[in-house]
Amino acid sequence: MTLRLKRWLPLLLLLPLFIPLLVKSPYYVNGILNRVLIYAMLVASLDLMVGYVGDVSIGHAGFFAIGAYTVAVLTASPALNTDSTLAHFFQLPFYVAIVPAVLLAAFAGFLLGFPALRSSGPYLAVITIAYGLIIYTMINEQEALTNGTKGITLTPLAVHGISLSGRNYFYVVYPTLVAVMFLMRNLVRSFWGRAFEALKYSAVAAECCGISRAYYKIWAFVLSAGLGGLAGGFFAQLDSYVAPNTFAYNFSVEFLIALIFGGVRSVLGNILGAAVVVVLPDLFSRFADYRLMVFGTLLLFVLFFLPQGLAGALRKLLSLGTKDRGGDRAALEAASAGIEPVVAPGKSSQPALELRKVKMMFGGLTAVNELSVALQPGRVLGLIGPNGSGKSTTVNLLTGIYFPSSGQVLSFGEDLTRMKAHERAERGISRTFQNLQLFAPLTTLENVLVGLHLSFKSPLWKVLLGLPSSRREESSARAQAYALLRFVGLESVAFDTAANLSYGQARHLEIARALALRPRLLLLDEPAAGLTTAEIEGINGLVGRIKQAGISVLLIEHHMDMVMAISDEVTVLDFGRKIAEGTPQEIQANPLVVEAYLGKHVTSQVVQA
Amino acid sequence: MQTLQLLLSGLAQGMIYALLAFGYNITFATSKTLNFALGNFLMMGGVLGFVLYGTHHLPFAATLAAVVAVGLVGGIVLQKVAIDPSLKTKSSYNWILATLAVGIILRNAAEVFWSTDDFKLASPLGDDPVRIAGVGVYPQELLIIGVSLAIVIGVETFKRRTIFGKAILAVSEDKDTASLMGINQKRVISFSFMLSTAIACISGLLVAPVTFVSATMGTVIAVKAYAVSIIGGLESGAGVLLGGIVIGLAESLTARYLSTGYKDIPGFVLLIVILLVRPNGIFGRRSVQKV
Repeated sequence: MTLRLKRWLPLLLLLPLFIPLLVKSPYYVNGILNRVLIYAMLVASLDLMVGYVGDVSIGHAGFFAIGAYTVAVLTASPALNTDSTLAHFFQLPFYVAIVPAVLLAAFAGFLLGFPALRSSGPYLAVITIAYGLIIYTMINEQEALTNGTKGITLTPLAVHGISLSGRNYFYVVYPTLVAVMFLMRNLVRSFWGRAFEALKYSAVAAECCGISRAYYKIWAFVLSAGLGGLAGGFFAQLDSYVAPNTFAYNFSVEFLIALIFGGVRSVLGNILGAAVVVVLPDLFSRFADYRLMVFGTLLLFVLFFLPQGLAGALRKLLSLGTKDRGGDRAALEAASAGIEPVVAPGKSSQPALELRKVKMMFGGLTAVNELSVALQPGRVLGLIGPNGSGKSTTVNLLTGIYFPSSGQVLSFGEDLTRMKAHERAERGISRTFQNLQLFAPLTTLENVLVGLHLSFKSPLWKVLLGLPSSRREESSARAQAYALLRFVGLESVAFDTAANLSYGQARHLEIARALALRPRLLLLDEPAAGLTTAEIEGINGLVGRIKQAGISVLLIEHHMDMVMAISDEVTVLDFGRKIAEGTPQEIQANPLVVEAYLGKHVTSQVVQA
Repeated sequence: MQTLQLLLSGLAQGMIYALLAFGYNITFATSKTLNFALGNFLMMGGVLGFVLYGTHHLPFAATLAAVVAVGLVGGIVLQKVAIDPSLKTKSSYNWILATLAVGIILRNAAEVFWSTDDFKLASPLGDDPVRIAGVGVYPQELLIIGVSLAIVIGVETFKRRTIFGKAILAVSEDKDTASLMGINQKRVISFSFMLSTAIACISGLLVAPVTFVSATMGTVIAVKAYAVSIIGGLESGAGVLLGGIVIGLAESLTARYLSTGYKDIPGFVLLIVILLVRPNGIFGRRSVQKV
């Protein structure tokens, strides 16, 4: 499609505005269509949590209920609720009440964020159920506020005497949904969306790219719950009546089914899922009674046979997924042409890394014992030792995965000992992972973009609105990422999924992602493990160029040839202790080192005796 | 005296949660999944008990046998339909959704093919309190406590003393190593699901006379049983008894001194608070992340 045509495509969004003019039945427009649009917002809010962040919520009906009841309580009039137990009538207009509806739900999401930081998977799913049930119980029991099981009747929406309820409500709901989906799309396609997904695929690697798990997770919960509250607020005006029974446990499960059925991480999927939940029971008159049986069966079917849901199946059918990336590639080639991928860090006289008597105990086992090491800026320090000597524990101590039992870790004069992983990343400490922690379902380019996370400065509101400044930031980051891929020789697979890379390519991608952080200190955790001799040569050259750029490197490796060839100094660990340090030549001649690797020479012992 | 009765009711209720929690633990240990349909197996036990014993007046022993049989078959069906296919996909949360789906199918089936109303089931031991040392006690409550203790202790002993029980422990500890030792882990997992759902069905039959029988009776009990299970630590067998007692008592005290409407709240709140403090439960093992 030509670019000019594409620009006018959003105009198609105006077409549905004619629907209420053509379809005269209030039942179809309000009962079905408006309901689908409102439910689509709720499904989208659930998608943010389940699809992007990867936490299953079985309590989203709770946020929806908070939104609906806030609007109901704040707008209710005494005339329509004569027999109620309501203690106060605020009688605010809808457009005012919707604001606290969103804020209250968002606050409820904020509170849920805290247990979510600690627990995950089934534990968190159970928490969300309990959370939803607590909200449900409160609505039932707080009769002075909610009129208990009898519910609240709302005044039909109208502005200056013009009715906005029934069929006309479409003119309120439809633009809202379009706006919501616009914001959502901007969010998930930005560095925010990438941060959410990165945390889902490998929380450790994401933290080491400078993404604060706490910050992004809580924001995701706040945004998701806020959107759920917004949907609830609009729902309250749909039938101009709310009662607690709507928001029971089933409702949460039904929407989870809608999300999976429609397809996660897709605006189209969200709308399709909502449509299925609303339209199917309507098509078959007796269906309403046994719809959950059918939905449950559908869910099982979709889970195992259509993992991408209806939207995914449609995409496949129309083969929209396989886009020709030729144009993208050419554009990135051009944009990245003049970019220097690796930038020299500023000079410093302080050691890039200094360990002072660091000790790490796991229960009674001492994995690292009183280790003191210093790495001068711009140099390469090799850390070697037999299996189980404490090398990997040391790397985890340096990047904030573990915290030492005693001792200190410093970098460029700053004490890192108690800093979290993402705070260390902010200070220019970057790492690769021995056991490969790539974000497997993301593309090669996106993996490096996650590494560039800290270079993004746009505030959330600019990202949500998709302002030109935040788009410019994104395209310059893409060029930078492409330049980094070229630096490690992976530009040809830029648009391939990381899961499809060969082992050697994956190791190179780890290094490219680590370099994206613009590190002052780079920790390479066995970068050559499992590689062929030719590939090791490649890594050798790469580390050489990184050193040339002035980046300090700590190299943990098993391949002696490599360590001896690249390192300026070598430190040897055995059983968690430092047994030797010096230049590669000194280490190779050191009898203690030979003994640690090969065992004692029996004959020499005998002779000495 | 009233307080003693209150405590006993709380204890009996807590034992039901403990029993269901024990059911969660059994399958979590072997398959590392949490069965979100288990509450609805409890419901099936209750409904089946009501239909056979309450409506058709079958002998209680025959009813019990039928309930256990349905539980055993249900477990294997659940595993084949929801768990096995989920574990084959790469997604980490498919089994949550799959078991939820099975649960909602069971519940809706009960509503459609049986009833959407609440019913009272007569206890096989009679519904009049007996006086023991001056305290009026419902015999069904004693039965619940006795049977629950017997099941938990029985299964735990079976796991420790018999060779098949040790196979279960081995699979819980490390599936792959257990396989290398010649243990058929698939059979062990199937067995654990059958055991777990059978226990859930029995607990439904047990609880029916002290609550109402309905298609929705499993939902809230299930959540409180998660709480119990998590207090006990998902992999600790004995912790569930303590957890059950804590939640059961907290609940009956809330109902007595605050309001029956709020009686579910302490269990839910406790669940959230405990997971905030100990993300893997009180008796759960702490997992160390390895990179």
